[in-house]
Amino acid sequence: MTDTLESDLEPRRPSRNERRSAAPLAYQRRNAELTLVVMAAAITALAYTIASLGTNAEIPAGFFGFVALLLALLLVAHIAVRKLAVGADSTLLPLAALLHGIGFVMITRLDDGLASLQALWSVVGVGAFVATLVVVQRASDLARFRWVLFFGGAGALLLPLVPGLGSQINGARIWVSLGPINFQPGEFAKVALAVFFAAYFADNRLLIAAKTWKVGPLHLPEPRFILPVAVAWGFAVVVMVGQRDLGSSLLFFTLFVVMIWVATERAGWLALGVMLFAAAAYFAWTQFGHVQTRVDIWLDPWADSLGDGYQIVQSLFAFADGGITGTGIGRGFPNQVPEAQNDFIFAAIGEELGLLGATAIIMSYLLIVGAGLRTALRTEREFEKLLAVGLTTIIGVQAFIIMAGVIKLVPLTGITLPFVSYGGSSLVSNYILLALLIRVSDSAARRVGEVPDQPTPGERWSAWMLRRQMKRDQRRMGADS
Amino acid sequence: MNRQIRQLALGLISCYIVLFVALNYWQVGQEEELNGNIENTRAVRREFERPRGPIISADGVVVARSLEVASTAGPDDDTVERRRTYPTGDLFSSATGYFTLNFGSTQVEREYGDVLTGQTTEQQVRALGDLLSNEVDNSGTVQLTMRNDLQGVAQFLLGDRTGSVVVTEVATGAIRAMYSNPTYDPNTFIDLPFEEAQDAIVALQDAPGDPLLSGAYQQRFMPGSTFKVITTGIGLEAGVIDPTTEFVRESQWVPPQTTDPIQNYRGSVCGGALPEVFRRSCNIPFAQTAVNLGPDAMVAGTEDWGIGEEVPIDLPRPAASTFGDADGLDQRLPLLAIRGFGQNDDQMVPLHMALVAGTVANGGRMMTPYVVDSTYDNDGRLLDRTEPSVWKRPVSERNAALLTELMTGVTEGEGGTARSVQLNGGVRFAAKTGTAELGIIGDPDRVHAWMIAFAPLEAPQYAISVVLTDLTSTVADAQTGGRVAGPVVRGMLDYLLTGNGANVVLGGPR
Repeated sequence: MTDTLESDLEPRRPSRNERRSAAPLAYQRRNAELTLVVMAAAITALAYTIASLGTNAEIPAGFFGFVALLLALLLVAHIAVRKLAVGADSTLLPLAALLHGIGFVMITRLDDGLASLQALWSVVGVGAFVATLVVVQRASDLARFRWVLFFGGAGALLLPLVPGLGSQINGARIWVSLGPINFQPGEFAKVALAVFFAAYFADNRLLIAAKTWKVGPLHLPEPRFILPVAVAWGFAVVVMVGQRDLGSSLLFFTLFVVMIWVATERAGWLALGVMLFAAAAYFAWTQFGHVQTRVDIWLDPWADSLGDGYQIVQSLFAFADGGITGTGIGRGFPNQVPEAQNDFIFAAIGEELGLLGATAIIMSYLLIVGAGLRTALRTEREFEKLLAVGLTTIIGVQAFIIMAGVIKLVPLTGITLPFVSYGGSSLVSNYILLALLIRVSDSAARRVGEVPDQPTPGERWSAWMLRRQMKRDQRRMGADS
Repeated sequence: MNRQIRQLALGLISCYIVLFVALNYWQVGQEEELNGNIENTRAVRREFERPRGPIISADGVVVARSLEVASTAGPDDDTVERRRTYPTGDLFSSATGYFTLNFGSTQVEREYGDVLTGQTTEQQVRALGDLLSNEVDNSGTVQLTMRNDLQGVAQFLLGDRTGSVVVTEVATGAIRAMYSNPTYDPNTFIDLPFEEAQDAIVALQDAPGDPLLSGAYQQRFMPGSTFKVITTGIGLEAGVIDPTTEFVRESQWVPPQTTDPIQNYRGSVCGGALPEVFRRSCNIPFAQTAVNLGPDAMVAGTEDWGIGEEVPIDLPRPAASTFGDADGLDQRLPLLAIRGFGQNDDQMVPLHMALVAGTVANGGRMMTPYVVDSTYDNDGRLLDRTEPSVWKRPVSERNAALLTELMTGVTEGEGGTARSVQLNGGVRFAAKTGTAELGIIGDPDRVHAWMIAFAPLEAPQYAISVVLTDLTSTVADAQTGGRVAGPVVRGMLDYLLTGNGANVVLGGPR
């Protein structure tokens, strides 16, 4: 009996070639990913060179250092995926790398002084990516920490409101200052709360969908099932509105509505969401001056083109200046747009890379959304489905909100362009998000048998501990007998 | 849940398609409109950051150039800032204009901006290898027809009086001098911080005499008797008058449709044959000629002389001379009569008057005036040279010769209004004077004093127009064209024909 247990717990670890031949599809994906990552690096290096040629007609001084760092970072990320999530989708990492690379080049071109800091954050971001893959070896692990993540996320959201810790920059109190480091905890809260929602809805979706609570003619979900998540959502929205972070509130609201709709399979939630949003928007419009200003400059930025409308007007000038092919990197005037390195980096891209470059950015996000939702469709587990939906929605909607805002399609709400904008919190949190998406994708691949399911290091560690315990017990039993 | 996920995918795709459409709207559909928007400074900034070549006078003096100075943005900023500077100060500003980041550019700086910054197709093709960078100097040079020495002489002769001096080359229409008071020095505001520069420019805009608008070609003034050259030319062409035409000696004449008589200058008795009334500058004969021609022929005749059209100089926003409102002139013959000798609503651009003198000198061909002689690329190779062209042919060669005779009488004949003006070395010349009485109620003595001329008589080289504006002319101190403008004409022509200016060699750039 002990023999069987022993062999169950300690399967022979297959050789490298065995692993490859057991999962041909997975390794094909990894090789495709490697090719795409190298292509993304090549595009970035080329853009970096052109940017330098465009501004001062020189091959950039630190060119080889830059390319070495770039390749090293991307290869580390790639190897991490190969070792830790071999079955994952092959396009997510290269797309993120491309966006990150183009963003980095634009930031460097906009302001030399930001380059080294952004490079540092890039290292931290890739580090966070690898760490997330290492720590979260199984997507289902996350579901167990839903409440930890909820309170962590809620706490993070509240941090900027703590006196002495939080600070207000550009009108929004979403920053936390620790010594020399400024970061936006809200960026991380977003991911944490998406995980919480996924876990909670996966457990309770049928109970919420049942609508067993009858109030007059209305059939509503049992309050006790909907209450925790409603409180969580309301809390987050109120905090973010209080912090004047309209973009995040909108993103969060959309995330919640999308997730409850997908979880319950009831389109009524969408309708309710739209109505609630309309009501909230109207309320905010009547109550808050800054919301009114945003709407006014959206409707007619030309009316105050040197004041409140300046940024959006300059942004439109930038896009027009770029035209179809763009001015070329380093040959436009993207610095005319205030905050070009942050929220308005899409305007800088539109100016210097033109309609073609901007469309490439749009396509990249669309492909990420496609890969994310494909992952959601492939996996059978409800938690993983909802998690993939939530994470994809964050990226897809956040990118849409800011890109559409910058070109005056929707009212402008300050929010970063994932992977592209300057800023550590945004970059690191998006890499964590990407790692989770890749993790879910890998889990899905294992479940459909594309990759033989191997025990994770964590599981092997538990098994080793268990074996040791058993041996000890056996020895004790032997000693006893 | 899969159905919802697919719907979500469709929804997000739709959002991104709308985004793509909106992007096309701004980057393709609205591109031109946004790029042309007055608040969009990108085009100017792009031009400002390029190396900009010099503007050089005909006699080789740099009148505008760019200096490269270290950026003032900060110690870490190693970029180069370019500053435009105008070494000749106010001497050429009416032709060069100015070039600023915040307040646009004017005149040659504006019209030839693409040559100066190397952006013409030809320059781009020649520098094809360097297209990739902003830093390569591809700037061009603009050479003017105007001479620095003549500008200086004109400025000296005008002194602090308001007025204009224009000298053109008879055969080509090239402008050799074009100076007017008041003017401005672009150096005084070109480097100032935004607010101060704005104040300086606004002050110039509000200053009396419009210093920012060249008095020589962007403003027009009542021509007085110099207009009689035109009336005579029209009369000769139409056959209404000829050199034998006799005019009654009288001090006043009542035109049709009125009881109000027209008088000669200061009510004098004046008459005789055409040469005599022309050199004495009687008013009544030319009033009668205009009435005899009739409104239609007179208006058509002035149009033949280019009146009513913007003077076709190669600089922005030139003024147009005018014969006044032509509607219903047949019911207002007294006005027609008065306009026949250059009063009432007649207004002439000083440059145009130089062209009038040049037309007489040039066998009846009015040349197109120009200030840009040629343009050169960064290697000094010729890009373009202005080809002289005829703008108008208002009179035949024969009538031009008759007009020459009449105008020679003004300087040589007995009682000629410019008899007192004689050139050094006995150089003969032809001229016509004018004293335009502005007829301002409450200020009856306000006049513009004019003189147009060309010399040498035998082989005309230069035509000149001088006007001194807003003088107060009294009986005791008559500020007539001959007395006031004459010395300026003499000074210019003497310098040009027998003075130091006769030996100046006009050369290529640098």
